[in-house]
Amino acid sequence: MQDSRDRFAFLGREFLTWLWFASETNNGFIAVPELGNVRVEFGQRLTLESAGNVREGSTVSADAPSQTEEARTALRVGKKVARARLLLDLGERHFEVGLDAETLTFAGVKLPTLMAGDDAMKTEERLRLLDEIENIVDSLYVTFVNLRRDEAAWEPVREALRTWVQEVAA
Amino acid sequence: MGIVAGTVSYLRFVSADLPDGFEVRFCDALNNHAFHEIDAHSDVELQRGWVRFDDAFEANFEPPTLVDSGGHMLFRLRIDTLRIPNTTLKAWTTREDRERCVKLNRDKLSKKERDQLKLEVKKKLRLRSLPKMQLVEVDWNVSTGEVRLAATSKAVAGQFIDAFEKTFEIKLDPVGLLKVLWLRGLKDDEIDALALLEPERFHLIRR
Repeated sequence: MQDSRDRFAFLGREFLTWLWFASETNNGFIAVPELGNVRVEFGQRLTLESAGNVREGSTVSADAPSQTEEARTALRVGKKVARARLLLDLGERHFEVGLDAETLTFAGVKLPTLMAGDDAMKTEERLRLLDEIENIVDSLYVTFVNLRRDEAAWEPVREALRTWVQEVAA
Repeated sequence: MGIVAGTVSYLRFVSADLPDGFEVRFCDALNNHAFHEIDAHSDVELQRGWVRFDDAFEANFEPPTLVDSGGHMLFRLRIDTLRIPNTTLKAWTTREDRERCVKLNRDKLSKKERDQLKLEVKKKLRLRSLPKMQLVEVDWNVSTGEVRLAATSKAVAGQFIDAFEKTFEIKLDPVGLLKVLWLRGLKDDEIDALALLEPERFHLIRR
């Protein structure tokens, strides 16, 4: 069940950290090819961890955990986001999901209110909404990976991220 | 709470391609690996098998209703366990041991008698107990091969993968940080190239 989990775990943590950075520096919106602008907020609970064999973690529970001093200090000492609760808006639709950076496990997924009538139609609509939230999360991740693997595109983002880490923590 | 209602937590997998005419073959497979109740008279402690999505006590699958109009197969993995906790077994055995000694007018039972008594007590307790039932929802999209399992525990995921591969004789892969890229259209060589990346440091870089 590993999917090279240990070797590439850093990619998941960098993705969630970039998501925090990108949402803060673009008024909460991230442009995703084929989807448009996705609004991303961090909700309720945020866990940051250091890399390496002995992992030190910081978990923050608050209404806006990414705004807390504790979370920002954790960034400054080199921790990255390991688990986050994401509030995602695409158009009129609002989704929530707890995401684990290493496994991409979806936890406590909340979907928009169903519009359909009978049970079969509700099930069909619900499955379409699950497809949609997966598409949003996967597309955000692919957007990050495409950026990350293109050194020319990534280099200015890396510098901006480093500046942001020092600024938010200051 | 689950795939069709309320909040849901789940793991994602992707199966190998489905064969032509899979409905009949998969119904047979599901029926062959359907859930059967634990016989309390036996020593079986764990039983698993498939049940229908809408009824935990119904394990009969039929090809015309296997795939819904949206192209999904919905069913559940039922895992029952019937185990007598050690503390319970020990307490009841001690009580029976005492009563047996009084009846036989002896100070204590031999080791062989005590072992036999323990087995008898365990049998009696199993007949008085209900199995613990676990129902795990499964959603299999037949056009994409993507599978959702409404569980996050490694133990349940392990049971599920084993049951799935034995039942359908189809390989199932977890959707993790690399597999998801393949699902979303990245090519193999683009994914392989990620092996060259090293973790970034975003903090305290001073020049």
